[in-house]
Amino acid sequence: MKKIMKTALRKPIKSTLLIIAVLGLGSMGFILTDKNPAHPNAQLTANGSAMDKSVLVSKNDFDNASSKTETKAMPIYGHWRTFTEKDGLPANKAYSIRIDGNRVLVGTHEGLAVYEQGKWRTYTTKDGLAHNGILSIDVSQLTGDVWLGTMGGLTRWSAGKFEKFTQFNSGLPNDIVYGVLCDGKDVWVATAGGAGHFDTFTKSWEIFTEKNAPMHEPWTYGVSTGEGKIFIAAWGGGVIEYTKKTKKFRDYTDPDGKMEIDLLPDDGVVHNVTTGTSWANGYLWVSTYFGLSRYDGVHWKGYFDHDSGLTSNFINFIRAVGPIAYVCTDKGLSTTDGQNWVTYAKNENDYNGKVTITKGNKKTSTASTPSISNNFVLSVDVKDGIIWIATSKGISRGELLK
Amino acid sequence: MKTFQNLLMLLALSLVLGLIAYFPGKKMARIHVNDKTAVEDHPLSCISCHYYSQTSGVISKLINVDYLSPFNLALSNDGNRLYVIAQDANALLVVDTKSNKVLNKISVGMHPHSVILNAKGTLAYVSNEWSDKVSVIDLQASKVIDSLNTGNGPAGLSLSADGQFLFVVNAFSSNLSIINLNSKEELKRLNTGNNPTGTVLSPNGKSLYVTSRRANAAPYGETLISDLTVIDTKSQSVQKRIGMESAYIMENVAFTPSGDLAITTLIRPKNNIPSVQVEHGWMMNHGIGLVEQKENGRVIQLLLDEPNTFYPDPFDIVITPDGKKAFVSSSGVNVISVIAIDSIRNLLANASPKMLKMYSNNLGMSSRFVIKRLTTGANPKGLALSPDGKRLYVAEQLEDKIAVINTETLETVNSIDLGGPKRITVARQGRRLFNNASHTFQNQYACYTCHPDTHEDGLTYNFAAVGRNLANVISLREIAGTAPFKWNGTNQSIYKQDGMRFSRFLTRTETFNYDDLDALVAYVKTGIKYPPNLMYHPNAELTASQLRGKEFFERSVDNEGKLIPKNNRCITCHSGPRYTNLKMADVGTLASTDDPTLFDTPHLNDIYSAAPYLHDGRAKTLEEIWTVYSTKDEHGRVNDLSKIQLNELIDYLKSLRGPRYNKADSNSLFFKSKNEKDYENSIKKTY
Repeated sequence: MKKIMKTALRKPIKSTLLIIAVLGLGSMGFILTDKNPAHPNAQLTANGSAMDKSVLVSKNDFDNASSKTETKAMPIYGHWRTFTEKDGLPANKAYSIRIDGNRVLVGTHEGLAVYEQGKWRTYTTKDGLAHNGILSIDVSQLTGDVWLGTMGGLTRWSAGKFEKFTQFNSGLPNDIVYGVLCDGKDVWVATAGGAGHFDTFTKSWEIFTEKNAPMHEPWTYGVSTGEGKIFIAAWGGGVIEYTKKTKKFRDYTDPDGKMEIDLLPDDGVVHNVTTGTSWANGYLWVSTYFGLSRYDGVHWKGYFDHDSGLTSNFINFIRAVGPIAYVCTDKGLSTTDGQNWVTYAKNENDYNGKVTITKGNKKTSTASTPSISNNFVLSVDVKDGIIWIATSKGISRGELLK
Repeated sequence: MKTFQNLLMLLALSLVLGLIAYFPGKKMARIHVNDKTAVEDHPLSCISCHYYSQTSGVISKLINVDYLSPFNLALSNDGNRLYVIAQDANALLVVDTKSNKVLNKISVGMHPHSVILNAKGTLAYVSNEWSDKVSVIDLQASKVIDSLNTGNGPAGLSLSADGQFLFVVNAFSSNLSIINLNSKEELKRLNTGNNPTGTVLSPNGKSLYVTSRRANAAPYGETLISDLTVIDTKSQSVQKRIGMESAYIMENVAFTPSGDLAITTLIRPKNNIPSVQVEHGWMMNHGIGLVEQKENGRVIQLLLDEPNTFYPDPFDIVITPDGKKAFVSSSGVNVISVIAIDSIRNLLANASPKMLKMYSNNLGMSSRFVIKRLTTGANPKGLALSPDGKRLYVAEQLEDKIAVINTETLETVNSIDLGGPKRITVARQGRRLFNNASHTFQNQYACYTCHPDTHEDGLTYNFAAVGRNLANVISLREIAGTAPFKWNGTNQSIYKQDGMRFSRFLTRTETFNYDDLDALVAYVKTGIKYPPNLMYHPNAELTASQLRGKEFFERSVDNEGKLIPKNNRCITCHSGPRYTNLKMADVGTLASTDDPTLFDTPHLNDIYSAAPYLHDGRAKTLEEIWTVYSTKDEHGRVNDLSKIQLNELIDYLKSLRGPRYNKADSNSLFFKSKNEKDYENSIKKTY
């Protein structure tokens, strides 16, 4: 703490960023603790798996809306259904979410919730989790093992067995694991004390901090992979790219340095305080607390709330699937293909919300009833026309309308 | 005449000198022998130690011979050919079962473990545990035609039902390699239980069972759990992990032909109670675990032991094609236990959970299902049934023979001599003793039981009064130069450890006679080798991370630039080719339940495979030695290291391997360091 205070006094700009980040993290769940009363339209049926019967935003509404704005390529989700503690979640604060075959894995503040065949089941430290606060989830396509990044270490969940990796009993860089990625036999982590990977074959760790990689400091938020590279979202250090074949690093930082605005558009990553990376379809997407960036290997493109359909520059998490990037912000979920945008946001005082479709300067909004569970969106996953989002007040499931 | 007088004088002088030297010399020899053996009546025989224990040179070559040591078996589809793993000869033997002659000896990799044949019987796959490869053998041509890469320590093998995939159990890296036999590529490795060896495919081909020999890491006092890992062969992922409670050393597993039961061999250790319990017949139990193959199927354990006679170290299990009989090789007493499976089914049919729990510890239950005990040659290991189920072949590992048993009359009908040396060396006799439980009260366990593969079983035992002086089992690999022994260094020699102390604390019977003790010590000192450390140090070079770790291991100045006191440097205590200065030290981990003492500095070769750590096994990983149990640098100066640096130090520690693997490495630390001289001097002092 002393060290943090000293740093704060020495580096005012950096400390401002730090405070923003801490507040953001706090908002993930530590601060927002109000209970979310069950929505009348979100009651479970007897078998616990039925969809809402009354959905005011219909597929036709979106067909009409999309035809006006010509956003045919953009998927639009509706029929939102919210799940909270009353539905069986161990906590409303949900940090991470992952679709794993026929089940959905949700990392909450009070353990891992698994939704399968219409029922929730919770796993906690009593079952073997390293910590109940689960910040990140990934599933190994190779083995089917589930890897959970928690506030107290990394956990492997394999066929019912939990195994803990901590900074004390293993080479894990730090116990606060913000990001986890399964990449073949390697499991990558982004932690508060550096990034690294665990070789599941040799059971060895290799870790990276500012001491041996071009990081500003060891705090890392996210990790993703694509085209033989690993992309680490490093706090204050932009994006750290690691080429697996050569084992070489390079970094992508904001050419504007410590400026909190983007002076020259599209000159690089929009800010050095990065919160996540995701690679798909030849694009690297980078989320920050100050906007969104996209990199095609040659050019960077920046997106902000004032010049695009992005609902907020404060981005907690990003996941790109195919051509679409799903952007989790403090003011709702934005999705984009780089040109067109669809944003889902909830009204402040009721369960309804709106869907805003943006193409160029044109914005079209349509009411959505019900809407997503909360606007502070922390994670998202999409598969086979179903979208799941984790927020600071419950999780939501949506269906592809178009 | 004068010459005669001179000769007489010389003879008299020699006699006088001889008499002068004899008595004090004999006294000195007596003191020396008494010191080394910890008894006062061991014969004054120099050859006991200085002849039989030679590990190299002419004498070693004269007194030792190379045995075959058959370990596992497979039969051809027509039953006419028996394929035998000759573990010590690094070969696969081809035996004609009609003439009982060895037809061929095919060289394979180091320390082969298992052999299986493809469905057509044209190819054999041999796992080479010390080479990390599977040899593919063309049986028609009798030669190795390919070599497949695996994980670390390939042991048990199985083929998928369609023959497209080879499943290889990796004993050292505790995982399962799945190899596509078309592309010859390893597709994936699935995490299994700890130290697995056995595997079997279910009759319907849908599930693959993998055993584990070590229990999952747990604090002393908690119930042991060892995993049976079940693989879904379609998705090639782990379907479930069946926790076998209070059991370990599940060597092998078999299915009944109908597929209703999977049966594994196992041992139930009572390590949480004082070892004096052996007098009450309840220190180690040996039996089988059964997994019912139905929804909510039960997991049951039954003992093969009897109230006053135990059947230790069950190794292999096979079941006749009619599903009526199972045969288990009880390696520690040279016995095949014959089980009536229907009797077990009847036993379980109406048993309540409470009754089943009672059965798992009941020494009387075996009389309900064991129908015969068949005596074999020394150390029966792998078993194979003829296709018609009428003949059982038993690999008698320390006999170099294969016993042939008629499964209907339950009589031994033949013995196939594999052609190994006829002479039984002293070390071979020692190995037989090491693997045989006859020297323990009621045959409860052999040395091998707690030291499987002459290594360690990963458990902590209570050798003194309840809860006092807990001790973690240590490896026996190449310990000849590492005296003193035991965690508190109270045993100055292997003689004492295996002789007087052994009977007092462990076997609770009479000590070995001195011939047997000579043999046992000769084996322990000469016959137990380190496997190569292929996972962390496969060649001469260390990785960049390991090299940096080596610098931390050898450093004398910490990260703050301060001189590290000599007794707080890693290299001071862990020096020489075995990384021990053979001295006692205080590393701050004495428990309140320990008698006050210093700790014997342990050797570090192959330390990666020796979890848990510290004298009482409290550290589950190498990291915990420092992150949890040495937060004030009591166990060397380490707390100044960053996490990266600590990882590098541990990377280096994991690279340490048996000294003989470093001899070819001219850059080795051992042959450059001045510590080598210190080590040699200390050896001279000790002996």
